Parts: sequence; structure tokens; C-alpha cells
Amino acid sequence: MQIPVIEPGCIPPDPVSPDSLKGIPRQQTNPARRSIENWKGFVEHLRSQSVLVREEKSESSVFVTDAGGLAFGLPHGVVRPNSAEDISKLLKAAQRFRVPVTVRGGGLTTEGESVAFGGILLDMSSLNKVLEIDTKAMTVRTQAGIFWHQLAEILRREGMDYLSAPLNLTASVGGTLGVGGIDVNSPRLGCSCDQAIELQVVTPTGDIMHCSETENPELFERVLLGYGQFGVITEAVLKIRKFSPLTMQYYYYASLTTAIEDLQMLSKADAADYAGILTILDRAITLLVAFDSDERQKDFEKKWKPKLRGHGEFGFGLLMAKYYLLRPWKIEEALYIVSRRFTLFPEFNRAEFMRDGKIIDRTVVFSRAVWKFWGGRQMVIPDLSAKAEKFAEAVERGNAVCRKYFKYYTLYCVGIKLKGNLPRYEMSCIPPDASDIAYGCEFEPMLRDTDYSRDYLQSFKNEIYDIGVDMGLSYYRFGGMMKGYIRSVFGDELVEKHLAMKKAADPAMILNPDVIF
Amino acid sequence: MGIKKKIKGYESCSGCGVCLLVCPLWRSTGSMAYTRKGRAKAMQGGVAPEDIASSIDACFMCGSCEPACPEGIDIVGMNLEQRRRLNESRSSYPAWYPKNEIHTSSRNSKLPQTNTILMAGRNLDGDIKIVENIVSLLGGDKSIAISDDDGRDIAAAVEAGLPVPPERIALFISLLRNAKNLIVSEGILHRQLREWLPAKKVMGIGEALLNIQSIRKALGPDDIFIVESRGYHSDFERLVKFYDRLRKDTGCLMNLDLQRIAIPTGASSLRGAHNRKTAGCSEHSAWILKGRKFKRIVVEDLSDIEVFQEITDVPVVHLSMIVK
Repeated sequence: MQIPVIEPGCIPPDPVSPDSLKGIPRQQTNPARRSIENWKGFVEHLRSQSVLVREEKSESSVFVTDAGGLAFGLPHGVVRPNSAEDISKLLKAAQRFRVPVTVRGGGLTTEGESVAFGGILLDMSSLNKVLEIDTKAMTVRTQAGIFWHQLAEILRREGMDYLSAPLNLTASVGGTLGVGGIDVNSPRLGCSCDQAIELQVVTPTGDIMHCSETENPELFERVLLGYGQFGVITEAVLKIRKFSPLTMQYYYYASLTTAIEDLQMLSKADAADYAGILTILDRAITLLVAFDSDERQKDFEKKWKPKLRGHGEFGFGLLMAKYYLLRPWKIEEALYIVSRRFTLFPEFNRAEFMRDGKIIDRTVVFSRAVWKFWGGRQMVIPDLSAKAEKFAEAVERGNAVCRKYFKYYTLYCVGIKLKGNLPRYEMSCIPPDASDIAYGCEFEPMLRDTDYSRDYLQSFKNEIYDIGVDMGLSYYRFGGMMKGYIRSVFGDELVEKHLAMKKAADPAMILNPDVIF
Repeated sequence: MGIKKKIKGYESCSGCGVCLLVCPLWRSTGSMAYTRKGRAKAMQGGVAPEDIASSIDACFMCGSCEPACPEGIDIVGMNLEQRRRLNESRSSYPAWYPKNEIHTSSRNSKLPQTNTILMAGRNLDGDIKIVENIVSLLGGDKSIAISDDDGRDIAAAVEAGLPVPPERIALFISLLRNAKNLIVSEGILHRQLREWLPAKKVMGIGEALLNIQSIRKALGPDDIFIVESRGYHSDFERLVKFYDRLRKDTGCLMNLDLQRIAIPTGASSLRGAHNRKTAGCSEHSAWILKGRKFKRIVVEDLSDIEVFQEITDVPVVHLSMIVK
């Protein structure tokens, strides 16, 4: 092999391992280290077009890291757009001046994808207005920087609700449509992005376009699940539904595989409106099912409940007592499970969020619990998504990795109903071999009481990602997968195809650099 | 109920952004820089209070962000501390800053020996009819005394981050020591009083009146009750249950969002009292009412009456006036 000559100022791909991370500037934390030619000219140009670039540290510091809390970087400036036109002007100028633009909604990425390592941070959260609610067509037109919770607040005043959204109060609509979005009702309703009917998008070259399944369908399919590579979503028309409170039931398992088989049985049969698995370690495995209507619940109880192999709480408590009595050296683990049970589950039943035994405001209930029990300054949540047949093995292998690295952790599993064989699923969180329903699992260590080094956490994530490579899976939080894994997982041919599309759409490669390409 | 001791400050902010969702300034400006998250992250980045003065000054001190924070950060304390630090380093103040000096002597010459003391504060100031009605509803002169020294100067200083001399605090609380219950209309004083007098039961006008059956019965599904946000958020875990029971008992609507945080109008803040328009009180009030069906607005905080009257023709009344 001939090692190529290195040109000054340029790090070429590693000739032995071309997908290695060399050249990815994620270690740069100080914008001054990344000099942008004619930055002042760029800022002046935008100012002349009434687009304000905020360069004060007080503005940029807000965006120094993301929910992952492991990547740190500062933009040279922040732009808070007032309209799609502002974004258009910004992107046109960014192409001309070759200034990288990192788009950020709620900043809920975990690998620094919404952290700007120099250049412009485009803070979409200023575009947060609901433009129209059509209760006849059952749609809402909204600006895309709005957080799902803000949208819920407004829809609820009209007795409406969105279809599905991440269980996180501060995820933005635009960000979610760009990466997928999983809810506990995803086995039934699919990714959050699949509820989009129409989008307004600013392309990387600054054109304001409308797209849907019938208008500019190619752009529509590339922007949805496109990880911000092919445009900035500025408006979305989404399907909505009438608001309904829900009833929830819990079934407890001691075996992951058994619980997964039951989850898959329910998901395939569309037996419940919501279904997912939430675990305390791999000991107390809870299958959650919930219903929007009494009819659905009755139907479930008649047809499907008898087939479930999970236990009620009392029966499972006895099983656990027996297990730990025979293993007294695991007393600490037993106490953790008990304490977790008595702190977490009451959060799902707080009186102020219940009406007549039903949960209202499910997003508030779940999202509060997510932040309270799993949130923190660092969030390490590698994940895997697989077709049904591979899923149990993937979870068991991931669980073994969790066991190895952490004393306490949680797994969260849910199905994702596919809408068909859509181009948007290509090179996305949807595994290429999945049909009908894909399944995802998050592996989340509890970090609160222990300080872990960044290296330790990264090693853990790598081991989970390696399972994906080994088994030919994809990743729930595909945008959160390390860039270096993408070629290994999807292969050169597919990556080159998308890279060519990206180069055509974004000639200066300025939009969301370093996320995928 | 004593104050839960929280020691976490801006350095503990994980940046989750849940506080944004309940922040009236976030709603009206759409700017992260004007939110608690914005200030915490800026300070984590080494920014000094004077660099974010406009954000620190803009805050209503409604306290909405504190119960929403999953980290359990003492956000109100942090906001007050930032104002105090900002005041140390600047020479000019916003127009709404309190001009009045802190009182050097207590206005209470003597208070009758009653279990309950009412501190009418700026919020009920000047409306003798309402104050008398509240006293009458709560059992009359023998049960409740009105404190002449209602701590309004302290409330204003606390809100503005200005120093309150210890001797003034001592004077203020000296005549409250014999009472068991303190009914305090200035919501911003609730947490202070719980700290200074931990054995006392501190409550707002709303809670005090809503414990009276005739008032509870006078509220119904056609009413929207506007909870005073500062007092409510200062004792959120207890009051969220209290007001949930009220909703169940009466069917009335309230200015609570999906997280059960009380949406403020901003009218009782120093900024709002100075200029309701620039404080955006009408916009906040309009958001409270949006999409909700009601025939009467009932307020706990008297300063909310005019704000709602400006944007709706529906009758707006103080809670104390809904029973004859």
C-alpha cells in the first residue's frame, strides 16, 4: 500500500481505516481555533439583509453542549430567525462564505450533533408559533421550532392532541421530523415523522420550498429522517386527533426475552394503543400497555391479556422476594429495585394528572419522569433498532454490555410501525431488513450517583454500536450514532449515494456538518 | 410547612429546558436568552450578571420555573441572588425599580392577639371594601387582625434584589410571632416568611378564602379562577393538590397549564405594576383565556382585575366578592 503524501493543513482519510474519525473537529471547543475566512464580511452581509448574528458569549454559551453533555463547542455566532426568509438569507450567505451552520431545536442530541463547533448556530426555537388548527381536516400547521409540549398546550385548548412525539417535553417538531421520533404508541402510529403531511423547507442553498407526498416528493422523503442534511424544516402540517385520556396497565417479567416476545405479539396484533417495555436492570421488566378508549381496553382484556406471560405486581413481588432470598449477596440490587419501584411508579399516578383513574397529559407524566429519573448533566443512551426476528438477541447482547459497565441501568423497548417501503427509511433509524414493524431498544445507565469518565462512557457506547455492526442493525437515535460507524453499518455504496445527493444539495457542505458526512 | 432546603444553583443546570416551557418571557419573546436556562448556561460559560442584565431585569419572579425544574434547583433563590449581584455592579436601574426607601420602623404599633394575621400588601392596597370583606369572611375582627405593616417595602426590595437590613426584618416579624397563620397577599413574601418564621402557616388570600365552604360553593364550571402564581409556586407540592381538589369539587377552570404551573399575568410584578403594556400583561392574560369557555373570571390577586378587563367583556371579580 502506498501511503499518500499529506498536504499541509489537511488530514486525509486513514488509508488503513477510511472510516476512522480523523479530521472530525469535535474536540474544538473554542471558536477562535476554527478561523473562518472573512467572518466579519459574512456578518456584515447578513446584517445588511436584516439578519442579526449574535456574537455575545451570553448568547452562544446557552448552546455549548447538548443533552448528551459529552461534546462541547461554541459557535462564532447565533442566529435566531424570525422567518423562513431569514434562514434563506443565512444559508445563501453561508454557501457563499462557506460558513458551517448547525441547526438546533431542543438540543436533545447525544453525540454533539446540535452543538456548533464554530460557525453559526441556528436556534430554531424562536420559530414556535402554531399557525392554524383545522379540526375538520384534523391537521395543525405549525412553525417547526416549536417544542412538542408547546404544541400540546395549544392543541389541548381545542380538545386536540398530536399523534405521537418523543417522550420529552423539549424536543422540537422540526428536529423530531428530521430524525424519526418514537413514542409509546409508535407500534401503532409509527415514527413521529410519519404524521407529517406537508413541510416548508429551506434547502441548503437557501430556496424556500414546499413539499409533501405529491409536491416535491423527493425533497419530502429526503428531509424526513434526513438528519438535517437536506434542508431546514421551517413549517410542518401534521395530523392531529381528538384528545383522550388513557388507562395504563403493567405486567411484570423476570425474563427479557419473554417480555419482548409478548411485546411483539401485542404490537403485531395491534392489541393496545400504547405498548413498550421499561426495565429496572434486567430483573424487573415491565411491559406497559395503555388504551385510549374503554372499548379497546375491554377487547384487549378479553383477547390478549390471558395470553400474556407477565405477572401482576403482587405475584411478581413474591417471585422477586424468593429470588433475592436465595441470593442474599445481591441485597443491594434488591433494595435498588424496591426503591426504584416506590419512587418511579407513583410518578405515573400523581393525583393532579389523573381523572377517574385515567392519565391525562400523558406526555407531561412520562416526560417529567424521564427527566427526573433518567435525566442529568450527561445522558448516555446508545440504542439499537432491529427487525422483529433479531430484536430479542440484540437486546440480550446490549443488556450484557450494560451489566458489564454499570451497576444500575434501564432498558426501554418499543415497536415502530412502518408506513411501507419509503425512501425516507433508507439510511435511517429503520433497519434496512425490517418490514411492517421495527423494534428499538435504548440502553441507559443511571449516572447520577457516580462519576464516570468520558472514556468509560464512550467505550460503553462503542460496545453497543458494535453489536449493531455485527448484527446488521440500525440505531434508534441514528443521528446520535458516531459518524465513524455509518459506513460500517450501511456500506460504502449507500453512503456514497447519499453523499452524492448531499453534495448536489449542499455544494459547500455547510448545513449540519459532521453529523452524517 | 418549612422551606425545603435546596442548595443547587446555576452550576447544576443540565440545560434540559423544561423551565422554558413555563416561562412567560419565553412565551412572549421566543428568546432563550431571556429564560432561566439561558441565564444559567450563560453563567456556566463564565458570563457576568452585568452582561445579561436585560434578562435578569426582565424576569417576573413568578417562580413558574422552580417546580418545573427536574434538578430541584432553587431557581427563585438563584434569580434573586443574580439581581442582588447585578445591583452591586451597576449604577443605573430600570424604571420599574422601587423608589421607596425601606421603612426604618414598623408601622405596627399594636396588633390584637389573634390566631391569624392578614397582610394586605400592595396587591390589596387601597381597596378597603375588599379587605373588610376578607376579614368578615374569615371570622371577623376577633379571629383575624390586619397588620398595618404588611411588608410591602420588603417585598419590593426582595423582588428587586435590593438589600433588606436585618433590623427591618426583625421589626417586621416581631409582631407576627403570636399568630399561627399568616395570610399574605404578596406571593413573593411567602418563601421569605417560611424561612423567617418556620413554625407559622403561610398562605395566600386564595387558599385562605377557598377553605370557606360558601366561597367554594360559589365557584362553578362557568368560572375561571386565576391563582396568584408566586405564592402558589413557593409551596407547589402542597398547593397543586389543594387546587386539584378545588377543581374536582367545583369544576372551575384555572390558569394552570398542562404541568399544573400557574400562568401569571405579570401584573403584580414590579415591572407589570410600573407598565402593564411593556410587561406584556395583556398577552399573558390572553393566553390564559385562549380556547377556554367561561362566563366569569375570578382573581386571587387584585392587580389582575384590570388586566383581564382590558381584554374581555366577561365580568372579572375578586374571590372575596363572589359571595354576599
